[in-house]
Amino acid sequence: MRKRISYMIVLAMLLVSAQHSLAQNGGISIAAGAASFRMGDMKYLQEHILSTYPVEGKITSSFPPFTAASFTVFKQLYDHIRVGGRYNYSTTGAKSSYADYSGDIYTEFNAVSHRLGAYLSYLVLGGDRIDLSLNGSLDANYTSMTIQSYYTIFNYSDGLSNKYRSISPSIAVGGELMYKLKKLSLGMEAGYLVDLKGNLKDTSDGDPLLDPKDLDRVLSSDWTGWYLQLKTLIWLDF
Amino acid sequence: MRKYISIFFAALLLSGLPACFYSDSNTYYVEPVPGDPPLVSVTCNLDTLYNPPVNDSLEVSYQVEVEGGEFYYIYADLVHTSVYESDSSSGSFWINSMLADSSGIDTLYLEFYYSSNSNSLADKVSYEALTDTLKYAIDFNLGADL
Repeated sequence: MRKRISYMIVLAMLLVSAQHSLAQNGGISIAAGAASFRMGDMKYLQEHILSTYPVEGKITSSFPPFTAASFTVFKQLYDHIRVGGRYNYSTTGAKSSYADYSGDIYTEFNAVSHRLGAYLSYLVLGGDRIDLSLNGSLDANYTSMTIQSYYTIFNYSDGLSNKYRSISPSIAVGGELMYKLKKLSLGMEAGYLVDLKGNLKDTSDGDPLLDPKDLDRVLSSDWTGWYLQLKTLIWLDF
Repeated sequence: MRKYISIFFAALLLSGLPACFYSDSNTYYVEPVPGDPPLVSVTCNLDTLYNPPVNDSLEVSYQVEVEGGEFYYIYADLVHTSVYESDSSSGSFWINSMLADSSGIDTLYLEFYYSSNSNSLADKVSYEALTDTLKYAIDFNLGADL
């Protein structure tokens, strides 16, 4: 079901892009900043893995706010409305570890999100120099999650690494404040992303990532959270 | 001027590349607080013998008690030869006269491995041990059967 929704989002984005290909003005924008991420299931799994350590380890990081960047291509449909497509990249991770003179043990999570979807922006306040607009996007979110645990005891070391993926629909709503130059606008964008969660599956055999305490429940990625980005917009004549 | 702007943006882009990949270099380092070392007592049938002879063979029996810890392993060696190994805290084995090249006194080493109670990672997974070694002189008498 979620896959279907994701495919429909991508299709809708392509249709929007094709439908308005004759518009006069458009542009691209690049934004980079930070975002927070909920990742409830992954934090839970991290704590569970830590509890299986033979020693008392510690969580040194647990999916903190980290990099979020986006690239948008848009067309000016009306004076106040822009439509287009947007690609978002986000990454975060987590680590728990223990080390002493005899060796060390650690578990690392690396999570990457690629979101592709349709973009819509509405100009709320436009002046000679300052533009304030609201925007939103409907995305298909592809998550890649790597979980690896390794240990070294004296001269012996071993470990394992697993890679999981998920696909989920997500919705982002935000606002942007831009300062206009000639063919360039500089500003910032802030908003909130709601990720409808995607069940994680092993990339090698397709097995779901199950809750170790409840094998009927599949763990999921969840990128829901706030984002704040600096943004550069370049106007182009299509 | 454009050249410098290009260089500036290229440098800016490159400096931002590490932010595209999450990494946490922190490691939680601990100095383990060791517990009391185990008390080990070993009894061996050779304890009361003086240079026991190995005419044909000699039985060696042992028993290890580790109080406040865990027994891991015993290795029995003549100088260059492994004679016996076991993870049992009590047992016996035979020393054959063919293990010696010539008659005379040789040394039997009994090495006992047991938990260190250091509370380190290696200790917790039974990969770190303390050792006690006992030495016994034994007399190989290769001409005894002739």
